[in-house]
Amino acid sequence: MDITSASKDSATVLAISGRIDTATAPELEQNINREIDRGHRKILLNFTGVSYISSGGLRVLLATAKKLKAPEDRFGICGLTPEVQKILKLAGFTSIFLIYPSEGEALAGW
Amino acid sequence: MPDGSAELVPASWQPLPGVTGAEIYPYVRKIDNISSNSYLIRTPDAILLIDPGGLAEQAAMLARLIAECREMGKRPVYVLLTHVHIDHFVGIQHIPVFAYKDTVVVMVHEAGARALERGDQSLTAAEMLSTNLSPMNVGVHLFQEERVLSGRTVHRALNNGGRISTAPVPGIPYGEQIQIGTSLLAECFHTPGHSPDSICIRIGSILFIGDILFAASPGVAGIPGWSQEALIQSLGNLEQLLSEGGVTIICPGHGRLIETGDARAMTATVKKEALTLNGIATLTRDRTVEAAAFAEDCMEQVNELFTIMAGRLHYVAYVLDELGEAGVAENTGTLMNSDTVDELLEAFRSFSEEHRQGRRLSIHLALKASQVIGKLEQVFRRSDLAQIIDPSLILRAERLLADYTTMFRGYSPPREITRTDLISLLNALIEGLTIPPCSDDDVLASADDDAAFTAILMARIGARPLLEDVGFRIGERPEHLAVLIDRILFTDLLTYLFEDLVGTGSDMICLDIETSENTTALLLTGTCSRGDSCAVRVKRFLYGLSERAGGSLDCEKVPDGIMYRIQITRATH
Repeated sequence: MDITSASKDSATVLAISGRIDTATAPELEQNINREIDRGHRKILLNFTGVSYISSGGLRVLLATAKKLKAPEDRFGICGLTPEVQKILKLAGFTSIFLIYPSEGEALAGW
Repeated sequence: MPDGSAELVPASWQPLPGVTGAEIYPYVRKIDNISSNSYLIRTPDAILLIDPGGLAEQAAMLARLIAECREMGKRPVYVLLTHVHIDHFVGIQHIPVFAYKDTVVVMVHEAGARALERGDQSLTAAEMLSTNLSPMNVGVHLFQEERVLSGRTVHRALNNGGRISTAPVPGIPYGEQIQIGTSLLAECFHTPGHSPDSICIRIGSILFIGDILFAASPGVAGIPGWSQEALIQSLGNLEQLLSEGGVTIICPGHGRLIETGDARAMTATVKKEALTLNGIATLTRDRTVEAAAFAEDCMEQVNELFTIMAGRLHYVAYVLDELGEAGVAENTGTLMNSDTVDELLEAFRSFSEEHRQGRRLSIHLALKASQVIGKLEQVFRRSDLAQIIDPSLILRAERLLADYTTMFRGYSPPREITRTDLISLLNALIEGLTIPPCSDDDVLASADDDAAFTAILMARIGARPLLEDVGFRIGERPEHLAVLIDRILFTDLLTYLFEDLVGTGSDMICLDIETSENTTALLLTGTCSRGDSCAVRVKRFLYGLSERAGGSLDCEKVPDGIMYRIQITRATH
């Protein structure tokens, strides 16, 4: 799994590629937490390159949603592949955080 | 230490319980089908190696130990095999010293000896494990019929300079004993079933049992030479040997040493299992390839279902936590060990990747799937989970796990094609996909009871209807339509297809029915934007499921999304 971080408008975009599984989920969590600790409270995860997410990865998403629930906070995911979109939808996660087709569409609304 | 006690220390020399002057060096490996345990025994006038294993490095290590022993005193060396599957011996084919007839004499049951001498690829499992086997000389053929029937003691001087005598074991018709040198008496008991040549060996108070306790396991049962009838008989004989007393340690062909009490319980369990294996198919290499392909398809779905189930539980815990019910939220974590699920699924995926790269054989992948499935079955509390999340997820996961085991056993996974009213099946399915499992009335009725309210609340959060926020239309249909399908499998298939369409973003799903004189087609169309091809393995799984359910599935891209078409046969009167 590779993660690249970029500031766009007022948000932090973490572009992730590869698999989010038992081995890599903690790394994703650390990256997200680092951004939150720096005071970045608008976080968009770009999942265009994510081919798989395990239940450990889902837990990281929920933990992030918990941390970013103040009215001015934003937490969303964009660019879901069909496989990952299906898991998030069927696990009930699409009602917890914002899902966008693309980075542009996400940031336009933030 | 271990002198007559029930313990032996692996990888060290120690007195062999029950034989004065003999010592044993147990080499115990983790269980796999690459190499067996090995047991090296030395007396002042002989060295006996039981099952050298399947790895060259293991055989080389044993050869070094033997050389050290012979430096202390030259003695003839014997290799005695519990049976001739290559994981028990092929390592020695790479170590020249084992080929010296003047030093080493190999002793094997007659059926195995003949298989080794002709380089039989099938009975040795060399074919299945894609291993090259060279024909091999066997110095002593055990259980030769004429010798056994004569009941006489036969003395032999061997090429390695040693002397042995063979004779029937008094009172045991399936036994032959070998006196090796002056102090080592190995009583061999013919226990076929796992293979025609399988034997158990009693030396002092140790019983070496080869692979008999694995013989009913998936991926082992049904291999060439396997016999259910012989196995059941042999397990009965093993029970008798264990109950006679005098045996304190059981040394299996794979895995840790076993105490007698445990071995008796395990023998009874294996026998019970063996009794269920009527009509099991032979596990050939072709079938392991088929099983490996089914394992990959099946595990793809298992992965998805378990991830969704775990995700649902995380979601329930999250919402409960938000509602200030942290204690209840925490309890949901005990219903499924999602970390273990992730680890197991990841382990299978890595294995599968190695298989695709040609670094693992099909039999290894099929066995890995079997092992992972066995563990997955232990990590979730079915009935408690079904109170919270959609029971269909749990039932489908259970059916997949069971189907794989059934298939690997050599049976066809169960299906029952019967005359079914398609319309009532669809109505029931759609009701389940649109109506929440707990009504508002249920919630109100539970308001006075904390426990009941919590349970209802969790179910309300955990089991949301799939079509809750998706538009759905069903086309014109007759009141009844009799078709020939497996009701359960067909319902599973439709559920997977609905999930696929909803999960990949359809906001409108239409179900239409086309009928002709002999067939009926169900057209399930979703307005999702992805292409017409789901992952190859998912597709292969769905097509296979459709076939088992009594239908034929096609998937095509249509202007507004994708359409699944399932063709089924109408039932005639």
